[in-house]
Amino acid sequence: MTKSNYLIALVAALASLNASAQYQTIAAQPGIPEYRDALQALPIDRNDETEYQFERSSLKALDVHDPIEGFNRYVYRFNAEFDEHFYLPVVRGYVAVTPRFVRSGVSNFFQNINDVPNLVNSVAQGKVQKSLRTTARLLFNTTLGGLGLVDVAKRMGLPQEPEDFGQTMGFYGAPEGPYLVLPFIGPSSLRDTTGRVVDWTIHSGWDPLYASEYMNNNPWTYPLYAVDLRYRTPFRYGALDTPFEYDQIRYLYTKLRELQISQ
Amino acid sequence: MKRVVVSISLIVAALWIQMVSADDFSFGESNAFIATITGTPPKQVYPVPPEEAIQQEVLAVQVIPDRDLPPIVSEYEKLHFRLAWQDEPAPLMFLIAGTGSGFDTQRMDYFKRLYWDAGMHVIVISSPTNYDFIAAASTSGLPGLGYLDARDLHTAMSRAVEQAREEKGIEITDYYLSGFSLGALHGAFVGELDSHLGQFDFEKILLMNPPVDLYNSVQRLDRLAYTQVEGVEGGDSFYEHIFDKLSRYFAARGGIDAASGLFYEIQESGEALTDPELALLIGAVFRFAAADLNFMADLISGGGQYAPPQEELTVGTSLTPYLRRALFCDFACYMETQLWPDWQSRNAGLSVQDMAYRTSLQSIEDYLRGNPNVAVVTAADDFILAEEDYYYLAELFGERAFLYPRGGHGGNLQHKDVVARMLAFIKGADDDQE
Repeated sequence: MTKSNYLIALVAALASLNASAQYQTIAAQPGIPEYRDALQALPIDRNDETEYQFERSSLKALDVHDPIEGFNRYVYRFNAEFDEHFYLPVVRGYVAVTPRFVRSGVSNFFQNINDVPNLVNSVAQGKVQKSLRTTARLLFNTTLGGLGLVDVAKRMGLPQEPEDFGQTMGFYGAPEGPYLVLPFIGPSSLRDTTGRVVDWTIHSGWDPLYASEYMNNNPWTYPLYAVDLRYRTPFRYGALDTPFEYDQIRYLYTKLRELQISQ
Repeated sequence: MKRVVVSISLIVAALWIQMVSADDFSFGESNAFIATITGTPPKQVYPVPPEEAIQQEVLAVQVIPDRDLPPIVSEYEKLHFRLAWQDEPAPLMFLIAGTGSGFDTQRMDYFKRLYWDAGMHVIVISSPTNYDFIAAASTSGLPGLGYLDARDLHTAMSRAVEQAREEKGIEITDYYLSGFSLGALHGAFVGELDSHLGQFDFEKILLMNPPVDLYNSVQRLDRLAYTQVEGVEGGDSFYEHIFDKLSRYFAARGGIDAASGLFYEIQESGEALTDPELALLIGAVFRFAAADLNFMADLISGGGQYAPPQEELTVGTSLTPYLRRALFCDFACYMETQLWPDWQSRNAGLSVQDMAYRTSLQSIEDYLRGNPNVAVVTAADDFILAEEDYYYLAELFGERAFLYPRGGHGGNLQHKDVVARMLAFIKGADDDQE
């Protein structure tokens, strides 16, 4: 009896408190969150330092050595059309007919092959630690990872560390040379295009994994390689939403390569 | 025993009061710039289906019959838009992108997926200030005035619907409209225009982070380009400064791995970007959008200030010299040197202030006030709003102003609480929840 009285008292107390609390909210609620001006604390000032800092920085970014710009722009447009009307539809078809684990297997296989030039270029730049890590990746992935189909090394904490011959040349101070847009491939420079050729020679000449031999004996692997490459590349033409996409990509490509070389 | 009851009650009451009176918005980022750049943390995002699950396509439609453009921009003679459709009759949601953004941005993709998942057809349209819209659907070529842009948009939307019906045979039960930032302002103007035309009769219009006074907002954003950044002096380039930071960060970390969450990691490191740097970055992005607008508007309207005559442009023509010139003109400059001369020639005797008023929400206040079908969502620290703009929205929309304490300019829009509130409004389930 007393117990239930207490219970009733408790319920009643809670109910009244709830009611009063609700009442209080309406009264206490400021109604709307208070305005905060994010610009107020900023050192915004039009002075000699800041007057042209945007223009100065942006104009410098447009200074990229591009002597065959007219030709490059045609190739850029060709690549964009090719991408929209052929390349991407093929990739979409590929995604539609293959399960995800097959696609990652394919990606891992081709990326494992890339570790051969990665290794050669790490060694060429005298990067001992990186060379050891890439050697370990090659060994683990080619054996435990079933010829590279699974990237077991990444799971062991050894992510891929790309090094190409363009980076090696940059590392030793070779200038990038004129900017180039390669058909089907996209932004490059004279240095990086040369690098691609050398890397391809390493791939097909040395061929320690017999990957090149395998691919030559099975020519269907070449289109698969191309499809996988696009599948792995998130870039989309038009994604920058600007009529000046060519100019902006040119700068970003140049900076990205600088960043890669500096590492 | 009584004491126990009292103390329990007090604890419960204390918890209750804390729960309701303290700010209960779990979006934690109180830095408006970081919130704007990084958006909602993945764990707090209202879930939507993956992109692959959506039945969708990019369609194109001729909006202006005699538009004939030089080869360099000929791909934009038709207006491209994205359609996500249902097989059954369903309501249609129009989404309008923000300043200098096309229909294919991540933000628009998210809302497309959200509303498609809610059973609607969705049509996403580029901002009237984006280069593709200017080329394909802007009659004057000079966007930026709400009431005039609304006419172009209204036409484009009607044409897009016809095209969608024709190509995909979709059946539409009724119409909804939403937009982000400048797209929200445009949404309000389209709604007002349609209230006179009675074509769509929008069930609901949801404005996400709109400006109130466009001229005021662009001046605030233009100012960001004059933020003083420590370490950028004399002839230094701001971008080099940022790349140097990135480079040092990657060197310390041992390798480049541009994974998601990279920005958070950098902000945790010694190379964290400062507020002035973030502000200047946002300001620079905005200035590039202004350059795009200056160039494209000039090209289409034939003004001859920033773009060459159309016939001189081939696919191989270098646009770099024009970009160099357009970079000097910010948004306020666009309004003063391109919009104003054109507008003035047709509105003799009126001032710049009159023009600015015609592109503010105040000018369509009669339509918005007390209209149960229009709601706004924004944040108390959205930096496109001045203090008076923010409180104007609160006052004008009343209980249909969904105001959150944090989020910057649209950083909180994918937050589960915010999305749930927006969906509830769109579905009309209740108009006084929370």
